[in-house]
Amino acid sequence: MAHVRLNGLSKSYGKVDVIRDVSLDIEDGEFVVLIGPSGCGKSTLLRMIAGLESISSGQLDIGGIPMNDVPPRDRGISMVFQSYALYPHMNSADNMSFSLRLAGEQEEKRRGKVERAADILGLGPYLDRLPRQLSGGQRQRVAMGRAIVRKPEVFLFDEPLSNLDAKLRVKMRAELKELHMKLKTTTIYVTHDQVEAMTLADRIVVLRDGMIEQIGTPLELYDNPKNAFVGAFLGSPTMNLLDLEVPADNPTMARFSDGETMRLAGPAQPGPATVGIRPESFSLGSEARDGHLRAEVVVVEPTGASTELVVRKAGQNITILSHERLSAKPGDTVWFAPDAGRTHAFPAGSAEL
Amino acid sequence: MSHVSDTPGTMTLPDRRFSVSERQVAVMRHIVLLGFALIVLFPFFWIVSAAFKTQIDLLMGKVLFTPRIEGFLDVIFDKTSDFARNFANSMVIGLVSTFLVLVIATLAAFSLYRLQWPAWVLHSLLGWSVIFHMVPPITLAGAWFTMFRSVGLDNSYTGIILAHTTLHLPMALWMMGVFIRDVPKELVEAAQIDGARVPEILRHVVLPIVRPGLAATGILTFIFSWNEFPVVLVLSQRQTATVPLGIGKYAQENTIAFTEMAAASTLSILPALLLLLFAQRFIVRGLTSGAVK
Repeated sequence: MAHVRLNGLSKSYGKVDVIRDVSLDIEDGEFVVLIGPSGCGKSTLLRMIAGLESISSGQLDIGGIPMNDVPPRDRGISMVFQSYALYPHMNSADNMSFSLRLAGEQEEKRRGKVERAADILGLGPYLDRLPRQLSGGQRQRVAMGRAIVRKPEVFLFDEPLSNLDAKLRVKMRAELKELHMKLKTTTIYVTHDQVEAMTLADRIVVLRDGMIEQIGTPLELYDNPKNAFVGAFLGSPTMNLLDLEVPADNPTMARFSDGETMRLAGPAQPGPATVGIRPESFSLGSEARDGHLRAEVVVVEPTGASTELVVRKAGQNITILSHERLSAKPGDTVWFAPDAGRTHAFPAGSAEL
Repeated sequence: MSHVSDTPGTMTLPDRRFSVSERQVAVMRHIVLLGFALIVLFPFFWIVSAAFKTQIDLLMGKVLFTPRIEGFLDVIFDKTSDFARNFANSMVIGLVSTFLVLVIATLAAFSLYRLQWPAWVLHSLLGWSVIFHMVPPITLAGAWFTMFRSVGLDNSYTGIILAHTTLHLPMALWMMGVFIRDVPKELVEAAQIDGARVPEILRHVVLPIVRPGLAATGILTFIFSWNEFPVVLVLSQRQTATVPLGIGKYAQENTIAFTEMAAASTLSILPALLLLLFAQRFIVRGLTSGAVK
């Protein structure tokens, strides 16, 4: 196990900067998730840590040792690829023990290690099967087994669950978490799935255009997004981003274009603003009350456990998540009140980012 | 439901008509395939049957004849015939040059496509190899003869093997390039992380996966070398002559020994045929399935 230190890492292909000045301290045993939209450079960053991409500038330390020019095999890492990258001509056991074989370990020892990993992953019956004879989930496990047997200092995962169907993904996600709790190996995990990030991570790193937008625990990022991008990226249904006006005489309020106002968590910059409110931070009513705003129901989506309501207020759609059974129909009028303490005021126009 | 029971006749009629037309298509397809098979196989049949005829039967164009094996016996055992020697020469030259071609082409293709060369290296090498392949071999043969002569490699196995290796390397490089590119990049990366260096990646990961490609390229290279005529004609003399030269020798100034020529040709098909049968089991499709996704 080891801590990983990224100090001003950059990567450019010719004139295009893919990773720009990324600094990050990952503690020993920590599970860090790199998340961002496609093209944000998260996979490139992971591959730079793995040694599969060169580092243009900056410093990478693993376990306190500079790793910039160390080949992948000597970095003490193992990696699980999105495509699994299993050797097609080797059975599961050989796939898992390939690194040990290269390291010159004895057959006996190798078998013991593979069997232990197979035990952890429930792969016992599949050890002599070829990758093509395995299901997606089993291949995924073999790929993880291959990573485990090396006893690496750091695990690197590159969107390991994205090739699985929804159900299996949830199952493997739980297994991954359990595995991390068992092994306590430093883990860096790349995904574009915010649910994976929220459920797995000790800390989440949100990346955009090769730069870090925000670092924090899942709930820190969820509750206190630094900007509208982070706010909208984490959470499902997505955070509402409303274009409102903050009056100069009362900067703790924000005004819709129809003149109605809502309270903010604190004073904001007067002028136009983007206000973020999560769908669950509303209360609903069927009649006018103080502090409630009037809106028209556009869509009602009951999921059983909760109901997602899309309402239109002053020309803007707002998604509201309610855990009550609602009888509202499209076209109805509803009254809603945002939870002022859980509103986020961002600079105007940041909704478009 | 009612729709179906209302119109039983119309329900079955189009069905039957469809099946008839499908059968017609199948018959047509087989006729066409048979035609192609005939076009391909008839020359073989002609040569093989000619090998069993007497010169007189052959020249008279007899269709029915008593098969005789004198032609073969003459080719193989006659004191004046070099065919056995030619056959052995072809074997040595074909096998060794094929082996060299496969080794060089595989290493080169792996290096070009999987180690990080600048794009111009890849393109200029591949481009050059095509241009080289476009030059008629006979134009090279003269130059090679002069060069080999000055270093004592004319009329030697080494000279001919070098020439054949050079001649067939471009094609092999292109073919192996395709097969190597088919090996997913992630596999090479996974092997790198697992601790493999380039020779180990080649041996344990790439070679087992491109085995079908090696078999296909090897067969083609061997057949090309086996049939190559103009270059050996220039570079070899009696001791190092190969099978095509041996066959050619039956066409002499005054007579053409058609029967012996046909017998020698028939015999010369055998090694390639055996090699094909042997290598066929390596040419399996879908060997990479299960590797990625």
